[in-house]
Amino acid sequence: MDDLTEMLKGTLEGCVLEIIGSEETYGYAITRRLNELGFVDVIEGTVYTILLRLEKNGLVQVTKRPSGQGPPRKFYALNSAGRKELATFWAKWEYLSSRIDKLKEGGR
Amino acid sequence: MGIQDLIEGKKQWRAHMARVKALPPDYHIVYKEMQKYLFKVGPVDLLDGPILTGIVDFFEEGAAAGKGVLQLIGPDIATFCDDLLKDSPTHADIYQRSINQNADT
Amino acid sequence: MNFWETVTGNDITRAWNSFEARAEALPADHQAAWEEIKGHLSSYSDFTGRNLTPILDAALGLLEEAASEGQGVHEVLGDDIKGFCTALAGGERSRDYRDRWREQLNRNVARKLAQLGG
Repeated sequence: MDDLTEMLKGTLEGCVLEIIGSEETYGYAITRRLNELGFVDVIEGTVYTILLRLEKNGLVQVTKRPSGQGPPRKFYALNSAGRKELATFWAKWEYLSSRIDKLKEGGR
Repeated sequence: MGIQDLIEGKKQWRAHMARVKALPPDYHIVYKEMQKYLFKVGPVDLLDGPILTGIVDFFEEGAAAGKGVLQLIGPDIATFCDDLLKDSPTHADIYQRSINQNADT
Repeated sequence: MNFWETVTGNDITRAWNSFEARAEALPADHQAAWEEIKGHLSSYSDFTGRNLTPILDAALGLLEEAASEGQGVHEVLGDDIKGFCTALAGGERSRDYRDRWREQLNRNVARKLAQLGG
């Protein structure tokens, strides 16, 4: 689907939290995961800015690990604040999507 | 970030810029232009926070994986920069807040 | 003057002296721009100048960076230094300036990358 960027903006952080929440991972792998999911326009730079914010806000634990080629890679895992944030994200998402579904069905 | 820290930080700064110089030319160009923009916008944690070193870490990884810089961050460098700054107040923000506070009292 | 005022006063003086030392190392054009920036920004200064210090620091850093790159003052600050200072301090027109800086950034990158490829 084309041009999801604007709509995706507010939810991408939650998506990244979810991906990190299932296993410790790094920027490029997160980007690929999102691309495979169908968010083809998401680029590494965007994911990087999200990871930086998660780090600054103390939601992730960052570990540098050597990579096969080039400099060490930063791996991200959720800490307890991050898990709480993820739960909040899903709660908000449930609320939002249930309201919008209702609107679409013409209910009140 | 105090001035004294800046002077003491000169050595780190030189080491940082040496890493920048070692990047491939396209990364080098983008980094320098970004830095100029970030200096002007002036987030308070620019010099002691993770923004600048983080960019170099990220660029080194991208370059090592054989990607071009625009492939990595897209052509809209300004939006990339603003996303980096999202949670950082700028010197201008703080200055404005301080005069508004004075005006309130 | 109480203890704290003395301490913060010295602190500010030291900061400003170090600015002047850094400014002296700049080329003449950049030094002139620095004088102009200080002039404009001093109209914003509060009692201690403390909240202005980091803004001056950023402006000076920008000039130093430009000088080390062999760039002229015009190229980094544009032709309206007063407007630039307004934006630095977050004045009313600062949004316009931020937008202009954004365009400048993307344009410079596009141009320089094209030169690189050509």
